[in-house]
Amino acid sequence: MRKLELVMIPLLAVFFLGLGSVPSQAALFVQCPGDWDGDMVPNEFLPDGVTPNPDYNPNVVCMHISGGDGYLRMADGTDLYAFGFGEVPPPKQVPLRRVMNRQSLKARAPAPHIELQEGQELYLTLTNVGMTMRPDLFDTHSVHWHGYPNAAPMFDGLPEPSPTPNMGASFTYYYYAGVPGTYFYHCHVEAAEHMQMGMIGTLHVHPSQNGTPITYGGKTFTKFAYNDGDGSTGYHKDFHLQITAFDSNFHIQHEAVQPLPFADMHDNYPMFNGRGYPDTINLSNNKVTPDKKILNKKGFWAQRANSLVTATSGQTILLRIGNVSTTHLYTITTTLGVPMKVVGQGAAQRKSPAGVDVTYEANVLNFGGGQAYDVLIDTTGVPPGTYFIYASDLTNLSNGDEERGGLMTEVVIN
Amino acid sequence: MNRFSITKGLRIFGWMTVLLLGASLTAQAAIDGITGTKNPDGTVVFNLVARKGNISTSDGDSFQMWGYAVGNRVQYPGPTLIVSQGDRIMVRLKNALPATAGNTSITFPGHQVSARGGVAGTLTREAPPDGATQVIYEFTATEPGTYLYRSGTRPDLQVEMGLVGALIVRPGGGPDPAHHAYNHADSYFDQEYLYFITEMDPWIHRQVEFTPASAVDTTKYFPTNWFINGRNWPDVMSPAFAKWLPTQPYNCVLRMHPGQKILVRLVGGGRDIHPMHLHGNNFWVIAEDGRMFSSNPGVSGADLAWSDVTYKIAAGRTADAIWSWNAEKLGWDIYGHAPGDPMEPGEYAPDHGKPFPVVLPTRDSMTYGPFYSGSPFLGAGGDLPPGDPGLNANAGYFYMWHSHTEKELTSNDIWPGGLVSFMIIEHPNVPIP
Repeated sequence: MRKLELVMIPLLAVFFLGLGSVPSQAALFVQCPGDWDGDMVPNEFLPDGVTPNPDYNPNVVCMHISGGDGYLRMADGTDLYAFGFGEVPPPKQVPLRRVMNRQSLKARAPAPHIELQEGQELYLTLTNVGMTMRPDLFDTHSVHWHGYPNAAPMFDGLPEPSPTPNMGASFTYYYYAGVPGTYFYHCHVEAAEHMQMGMIGTLHVHPSQNGTPITYGGKTFTKFAYNDGDGSTGYHKDFHLQITAFDSNFHIQHEAVQPLPFADMHDNYPMFNGRGYPDTINLSNNKVTPDKKILNKKGFWAQRANSLVTATSGQTILLRIGNVSTTHLYTITTTLGVPMKVVGQGAAQRKSPAGVDVTYEANVLNFGGGQAYDVLIDTTGVPPGTYFIYASDLTNLSNGDEERGGLMTEVVIN
Repeated sequence: MNRFSITKGLRIFGWMTVLLLGASLTAQAAIDGITGTKNPDGTVVFNLVARKGNISTSDGDSFQMWGYAVGNRVQYPGPTLIVSQGDRIMVRLKNALPATAGNTSITFPGHQVSARGGVAGTLTREAPPDGATQVIYEFTATEPGTYLYRSGTRPDLQVEMGLVGALIVRPGGGPDPAHHAYNHADSYFDQEYLYFITEMDPWIHRQVEFTPASAVDTTKYFPTNWFINGRNWPDVMSPAFAKWLPTQPYNCVLRMHPGQKILVRLVGGGRDIHPMHLHGNNFWVIAEDGRMFSSNPGVSGADLAWSDVTYKIAAGRTADAIWSWNAEKLGWDIYGHAPGDPMEPGEYAPDHGKPFPVVLPTRDSMTYGPFYSGSPFLGAGGDLPPGDPGLNANAGYFYMWHSHTEKELTSNDIWPGGLVSFMIIEHPNVPIP
């Protein structure tokens, strides 16, 4: 049990120095309060099936990810060495002793998606499985929930003011999902390197207002981007379009164990959700489509998120768009002919402290790294057809030297 | 239950040593700058001389700079001019740069300036490099806010070389101008800090050492060095006016207590756009370019402010953001209280006494950062491994405030460096000067 001992230290001024001790555990371990059968889901009852589990909390969500390396296939066929987070099956399925081997070279782009309801509590265990292709490295990894309000350093993922797990060790992050919005998460260890190498994922928190029908602008919604109180952030379908980008030279030098070219870093593979066009519309994660899975050079399906936006004419689409490039600002536009309404930004509703609506409509959005927008598109009056969301800074419509592709995806209106 | 043991005594002795060593990690209480001298007629006068000098970068390099000096020593960026709304300002400029640098001048974007003396230039009157001719710029600081000033003579080269600085106009109409950015309660702050951001292409500075300014090529501009208040990380954490950084007097160490309000004055002093990301919480952008986001200027305050965690500071732009932090909705007690313990000032009550939610790995399973106190709790310490620098003497919470164009977290190819500094939230009992 946790003890708290307080000692007075008279120095310059008198202040409290609490020597709080917390229990600790070595090597690989996952934490999921209330889960006794190893499936990473809290159990409502004890094994007898009758006695209520005293540790059960219906708000607890558990997840286990690995931090390590792997390969990604660019849309022009280039294979790039990368770092990334992988998804670790529950201990019931894969014993912890097998995790190091199993998760080797299982980096994914984007990292496993995290989606929570307001009020849920996430126990996110990160296991550092090491860099198989760079055995000379002894890097730690971390999870930084970018934009988490009122974060405490212990779970902020910064390696400077907190501990980070060594290779072969696990660290469990705890997040109370108190504020809805669109976030992302990434590794913050040696951030210029680890983020350039791909350790970035999507994350959002649904507001508690969800489920209550509210009519706004003649449409009734049950899903909302924020607790708006009036339905003004209501939508029918939401899609993540996370922009990341690679500088292929950096990745090639990295794999070749060369000094890392920080000063020369310049992204040449801009991507939505870890893929460049036309791979952005590859639906291989949907079993009913014949698209061939995008496999990396090791035969692993590392890039599982497509970016195809689909809706029925008249529906309202929420796009959760963010830029996590380490070198570039990006500019996005659409061919839909209707504006994008920016209702949220930085996981906050566009509403001033005085309660004034500060939303705005735009045809073009510009993002710096670390910026995320919540954008509503009302497709009323948009004829059925295929449209595009693409980089209006046209140099980014490329996959490396291949000048057609890059930062583009399709919107299909039925 | 506190039983004093020899082990704990040793631990405390170790902590006192750390605290003493850590005493050099201090911060400014207000933004460093100069307030000028007052003429009998009330005009506020600044005497600046453009000079040549050198700065140090955190990768161990040194670069020639040109800058606005108050005395004989150049400084980068130029001195922060702090004036009050309504002041009549007179800036006298002389040019002691090498003859090959050519003329120089100052522009004050956002102000209506009259210039006299010197010689005519394209944007304003200029001082020739004779060390004697004086150009006088005069204007009235009509609106409070954050501004910049910079050379109006070949700015592609001269701003890069360091002829740029911040101008802060304190409000004249409110009750407490030292704690308000504007004449409205919405702009209240407990502490204020400057984030003056510039970048550098080392190759331009190398050219200047060997080539007359007229022959320096700035068209292949490619910055690889980035600065906050004229320093790279980690030099930003050194004290202001540190003797080992004689031409880079300003630091950037931000400190506050939980619940306080911080004003961040962001200035895009260079030529690139930088997405500045503040860890720890969202901020309210209340103003840009010295104007509050207001539906009824002068009356309604910052009623059109907006919230974000990353602000894209454009080249030449300024922005004022208000930031606060109080551990709201964390789900555990940051002080490690038992439910019956007394509350700390400003503590978020719903989480009082809630236990720390996870089991931490053993020490040999983790790498400790230099700002980790050894404990997850605010104001608490813990055992640190041998060799740990223990740079968090007060066991504060450190939040990185940095560019999210992560490439800019380097100093000329060396990681870490560049656009990084830290906000430190101190336990309520830790005094902040």
